[in-house]
Amino acid sequence: MDWNKKTDQYYIRFAHESDIEPMYQLLSDPEVVRYHPKNAMVVEAQAMDEARRMVMQFEAKEAAFWLVEEKVSGDVIGRIALKHFNWVQGSAELQLDLKPAARNRDNVAEILFPVLCLAFEELALHRIEWLLLKEDPVMPDMLADIGFHHDGQLPSFYEFEGQWIDYQVYSLLQNDKSWQSALLADKL
Amino acid sequence: MKFVPEVEFSTGLLRPLREDDLPTIVKIYQKSMPAGQSQEAVEEQAKRLLNLAVQMAATQRGLMWAIESEGVMQGMLSLYDWQPTTLKTLMKLDALESLSVDCQVQCIEAAIEFLQGKYHLRNFSYQWVENDGEGVKDVFIQAGFTQQAVLRDGRRTGQDSYIDVTLMSRILETE
Repeated sequence: MDWNKKTDQYYIRFAHESDIEPMYQLLSDPEVVRYHPKNAMVVEAQAMDEARRMVMQFEAKEAAFWLVEEKVSGDVIGRIALKHFNWVQGSAELQLDLKPAARNRDNVAEILFPVLCLAFEELALHRIEWLLLKEDPVMPDMLADIGFHHDGQLPSFYEFEGQWIDYQVYSLLQNDKSWQSALLADKL
Repeated sequence: MKFVPEVEFSTGLLRPLREDDLPTIVKIYQKSMPAGQSQEAVEEQAKRLLNLAVQMAATQRGLMWAIESEGVMQGMLSLYDWQPTTLKTLMKLDALESLSVDCQVQCIEAAIEFLQGKYHLRNFSYQWVENDGEGVKDVFIQAGFTQQAVLRDGRRTGQDSYIDVTLMSRILETE
């Protein structure tokens, strides 16, 4: 199974050793992590640790992480992950760290499509969840437009900097009409 | 060492599971016994459940109480996915028909009060699926829980079958 994917604009690929610096550039940008309840990185060693954790989680079959590299420039403009694989329930959670300039419907759909294809078609998962903060001004509407369903909220999910975080839960099912239509159209 | 504390409430008592509870545990779980499963298998599982209940409580991953009313075990109240760091847990109530609704509500409220006081837990959730019946959902509503989400196909029931999971929760104010 080939975990590395490509789209018209991007390589969606696993990280390698030379990606520590671009990963740090990405995850030290406060705007990239603004709606993720986590702090932006402040030293490159954090990116090295993060890369190590990504490998460990993949080897443990708990998660898979891809960097999103722009074909033309070679810049890493994002990271996408399938986390919390639940092989019994057939589910996983999506997470996307994306530079603000790339946060538009077409780009997000282009990045998501091969990852969702892998999740639903190759890994035979049934339910993909996405947890968002309600303060996120862009992603909720974008996800709804792409075909995700708003299931409700997970209140007080965890504490970050003294605040209890409520997550909004969005889901896409393998048999959702929106996904089946996307498969036929070969895009979201 | 005693890992499961006793909690009294006005019409009953939450207490650790005991060996002599086995027939009642079997009775509770028989209502959802999968087709083809033998009585012996269920009793064996009930024994394992007793051991696991102690292990869960000792490691603070969960807890299982017998619900006693009028001196008789009439149900179980359990905690799963106990997360001491994020102060949350998932509750499960299994009541025999003989246990009144009032008593079910009171035992949940007493458990929450105890867990808040001793462990500072503040986020209590309950996952309802259609097979559980509306009754138990109403019990949790009476105990202060509100519906937060319906996780579509959130639980697998077979190779290609899934059911929705209704997530209910009660969040206590931070101390």
